[in-house]
Amino acid sequence: MNCSRVRKWIPLYAGADLSARKTRSLEKHLERCPDCGAELEELKTALVSVRAIADQEILDWPEAEWKGLMARVQAEKPDRRPVTLPGAIPKKAWAYGLAIILIAGIAFLIMRSILSPPAAPLLSKFVTATPVQPSRSLKTDEATSFGYPRNTPFKVQREKAATADRATLAAGSAPEKTTQNVMSMTLVSQQTGLKVHWTFNRNFEWEEKKR
Amino acid sequence: MDEKETRLVELVLGGQTNAFEPLVTPYRRLLLTLAYRLCRNVEEAKEISQETMLRAFRYLGSFDRKRSFKNWLLQIEMNVWRSLGARTADEGTLRELAAQNTTEDPGERLMGNEVREKLLACLDGLSPREREVFLLRDIEGRSIKETAGVLRTSEISVRVHLSRARAKIRELVKERFPGLMEGRR
Repeated sequence: MNCSRVRKWIPLYAGADLSARKTRSLEKHLERCPDCGAELEELKTALVSVRAIADQEILDWPEAEWKGLMARVQAEKPDRRPVTLPGAIPKKAWAYGLAIILIAGIAFLIMRSILSPPAAPLLSKFVTATPVQPSRSLKTDEATSFGYPRNTPFKVQREKAATADRATLAAGSAPEKTTQNVMSMTLVSQQTGLKVHWTFNRNFEWEEKKR
Repeated sequence: MDEKETRLVELVLGGQTNAFEPLVTPYRRLLLTLAYRLCRNVEEAKEISQETMLRAFRYLGSFDRKRSFKNWLLQIEMNVWRSLGARTADEGTLRELAAQNTTEDPGERLMGNEVREKLLACLDGLSPREREVFLLRDIEGRSIKETAGVLRTSEISVRVHLSRARAKIRELVKERFPGLMEGRR
């Protein structure tokens, strides 16, 4: 332990206000450091001197003034209600209150960002934009071509085995056995209105359209 | 708070206002002297002490009897001192009270004027908060916890200001009274 740290503790140590752990460390240091020991002695001497002077310095009320003051005080009415001024609330209570509000606010913001997925409005757009009825099946060709921009850079890689059958895209239970090979999705930006169309095959693969 | 004080508080709250004087008389010197050490002006110290008595009487009903009555009075006095120092609306009340109370008592004596001035010369070097903490802890002998309670602050804050105050006092005493430090190094 170096002297600069010990000297920060000496003022509290001189008045027996230092914690037990720091006191032990400081006393070990004092055993081998005469300079810090001398500083401690100086501080103790200064404090004892000031205390001694203070003990001699006592002011008192002149008796007539004191009686006059008591007469004025007693002419008042004591307020029996508890003090409810803001100043009566300890600073700690204000600090704790503000900290709780701050933490609750941050937690609310975090939970809101977690619990409200950004895809929710886009999904609803997708559902409303898809003309597929719950009980209706589409041919693969219809499904892949519906709403698909002609200049889109993507196209679906069709699987030959799948295209042989009538593929379906159903939002609900189909009345007959169907196989869903293709799924399209439209993402719409609420702010800019930009639409992005995606079409996936059963393996969720996509292929860039080659011109 | 001892039984006698509890009984006196009950008497005052019960309407016997003359019981207030024996309740606060043990602290009249303490409050006046502390106020003087804080503000370094006798008249201002009287103003602070008067206002402390008035507030103590006015709000005696809100005093928690589990607490120390002495610490409660000290807390009121610190609040008065701060509000006076901040030049708030209380100043008007205090000045008015002082105007009603300007009689000089020839019997008034301040013990050890010369010594007192030396003490004040050292206290002048402290900031207001350091002075408050130093006076309560080192001169009035309040504990760190009590000092924090009186000043409505944390014990950590008290320790920080107390440490600074003591270090400054050492420097000031060493500078102004070098004879005291002879033989210490």
